[in-house]
Amino acid sequence: MKSINKTLKSVSLLGTLLFSGSFLQSVHAEALPSAGLMPLIDTHIHYSHDAVYSTPPKKAIEILREAGLQKAFVSSSSDKGTQLLYAEAPDLIVPVLRPYRKRGETSTWLHDETVPAMLEELLANNTYAGIGEFHVYGKDANLPVIRRTVELASEYGIFLHLHGDSDAVEYVFEQDKDARILWAHSGFDNPEDVAVMLEKYPNLTADLAFRTSHAYRGKVDEDWRKLFLAYPDRIMIGTDTYTPERWYYVVDHAEWSRTWLADLPTDVAEQIGYKNAQNLAAWALK
Amino acid sequence: MRNAIKLCITLCLVFLPAVWATPDNETLDYDTHELAFIRSLGPWPPVSKKDESNRFSQQEDAIELGRQLFFDRRLSLNNTSSCADCHQPDLAFQDGVALNTALAPLHRNTTSLLNLANRPWYGWGGEHDSLWSQSIRPMLATAEMHTDLSALQKVLSQDSFFQCAFQQTTGLNLADLTQQDLLVTIGKLLASYQETIQSGKSRFDLFRDQLVDAENTSPSQKNAILTAEEQVGLKIFIGEGRCTFCHSGAHFSNGEFGDIGVSFFTANGIDKGRYDGIKALRTDPYSLLGRYNDATKNSNDAKEQGNTETIPHNALRTSHLQLLHRNWGEFKVPSLRNVGQTAPYMHNGSISTLMDTVDFYSELDEERLHADGEKILRPLHLTPIEKDSLQAFLLSLSGPIHAAQEKPSLFSQCR
Repeated sequence: MKSINKTLKSVSLLGTLLFSGSFLQSVHAEALPSAGLMPLIDTHIHYSHDAVYSTPPKKAIEILREAGLQKAFVSSSSDKGTQLLYAEAPDLIVPVLRPYRKRGETSTWLHDETVPAMLEELLANNTYAGIGEFHVYGKDANLPVIRRTVELASEYGIFLHLHGDSDAVEYVFEQDKDARILWAHSGFDNPEDVAVMLEKYPNLTADLAFRTSHAYRGKVDEDWRKLFLAYPDRIMIGTDTYTPERWYYVVDHAEWSRTWLADLPTDVAEQIGYKNAQNLAAWALK
Repeated sequence: MRNAIKLCITLCLVFLPAVWATPDNETLDYDTHELAFIRSLGPWPPVSKKDESNRFSQQEDAIELGRQLFFDRRLSLNNTSSCADCHQPDLAFQDGVALNTALAPLHRNTTSLLNLANRPWYGWGGEHDSLWSQSIRPMLATAEMHTDLSALQKVLSQDSFFQCAFQQTTGLNLADLTQQDLLVTIGKLLASYQETIQSGKSRFDLFRDQLVDAENTSPSQKNAILTAEEQVGLKIFIGEGRCTFCHSGAHFSNGEFGDIGVSFFTANGIDKGRYDGIKALRTDPYSLLGRYNDATKNSNDAKEQGNTETIPHNALRTSHLQLLHRNWGEFKVPSLRNVGQTAPYMHNGSISTLMDTVDFYSELDEERLHADGEKILRPLHLTPIEKDSLQAFLLSLSGPIHAAQEKPSLFSQCR
């Protein structure tokens, strides 16, 4: 029986490789999603201390693979969670450094002068594709802790995963016009305003985590469609596992994402679904 | 003598609230906003309204037959349990335990059946949009009544009294029904009875009425029905506690769903709450969008006039449902009426007492909430005195519980 299953799996894998065309060629074989599923990269995963407890690393990786993810950008409070997952599945995890020691520091971290030293130490000892997701709004983006964070991202050639308003994004670009920013939740802005920001800042990309307004029952909203077609190389998807239970949403979210992505031209869907994130990770993890 | 006793009972009922309150209770000062909030928490009871999706709603014989079914163990597999075994009348129509394990371990707390008529959604995840479709759910659930419809139809058809009462009430021949029609009809009869399970005026309602009356006449500062402690609790409830964001209106619930930071892991995985509720509703053949909605007659009329897109007016809410990321782990905002009698609390019964619930909100775990922008929920950090006051106010929301009583005369010709 085992050998039959193995044969079936091999046939299925061969079919996937033959019929999926060139876009899968660059993907590691071990990261292939189930046959027929479009690969996805989820750019907004957290694996914080309480999630580690409720969903141990092996189970967490199992969930990510079940969702058919090619990669997952993971940041955690504390960073220990990210390191545990990265050790478990380096092919799957794109480590991102969150400047929080525990959840709940979203509004206090930027006033904590010990944060830069913590970031420096972790950056010196580990591999990261970015710093974030961190929360900052308006002029707070000019506080010393944020300024040093922006400098560190520049020094290490990695991106900033910024959760905040457009003002904060603009202040960071004022500090470093060459910064690469992944704008969490697309700033919770409407597509017209996101377009303005993407037009103004070529190094700005945006994730769609926790957004639903762009798709309803598998159909892409017209205003969002315009944005996706105008900036197909700048948008990415993400779940945002901000509580331990949300880890179990990753599979549903991937399924939902594939549904609305199918309503876009294939090349645009592939860019938003995984290629843009693949490029961002490749740029950062050179 | 009999008249004297009647008069005594009447006087006791009318003046009992005043006896409960200390003689020198004074109405605290309430500003315009507070008065508006207090006014919005009533009047009680609400105006009785027929459920248009259920043709048996408010029919006397349907209520009686539904009452009999509610207590009838034949509805369950092997006659193991009736609705009333979990929704016990002497426990405010719930079971008093965190998670019922009588038939199989459940992962949700058994809710009270008080005041369920004409609510928008039913079940902790809002899996149903009518009381009758919600009433079907435990019959179909393998961990609950697990009804064998074929066996049920057989046994009820062999019961000449029931068959006669059923025919009299519904105009249907029990033996001729499809299993689905039988299920829906039983659900609607059960709902007709459950609509009668209501709580009457609480001391808070009497206080509110007094306050509203005083607004319209001259303000009365003496003999307030609520004690000073209860009124302090009321002020917290409508003020800094911002409880009325969710526990609003005469039902003390907006009827919708929220994530207040209670874990939704279960013994075997995860309870997706409203997320699965919406998904279930969309595929439920017994939702108001389906053919069993008795209000669809209007829709059919419209279809005959060429308007094929018409959705029954009572199903518009269901038809506009959107599945949002936030629905993951949201649970129904429960009514707070008679909350002192409905412990344990939360969707999983994880909080044992009312004071523990007050403590939960007082020390709310902000890390767990992850709110962006305006925070509705925040820890209240109440003092012990404030906690006692809030609990005292919540306890003032209990009113006498009524439900339709047995009326054997209705089916006398079937005996």
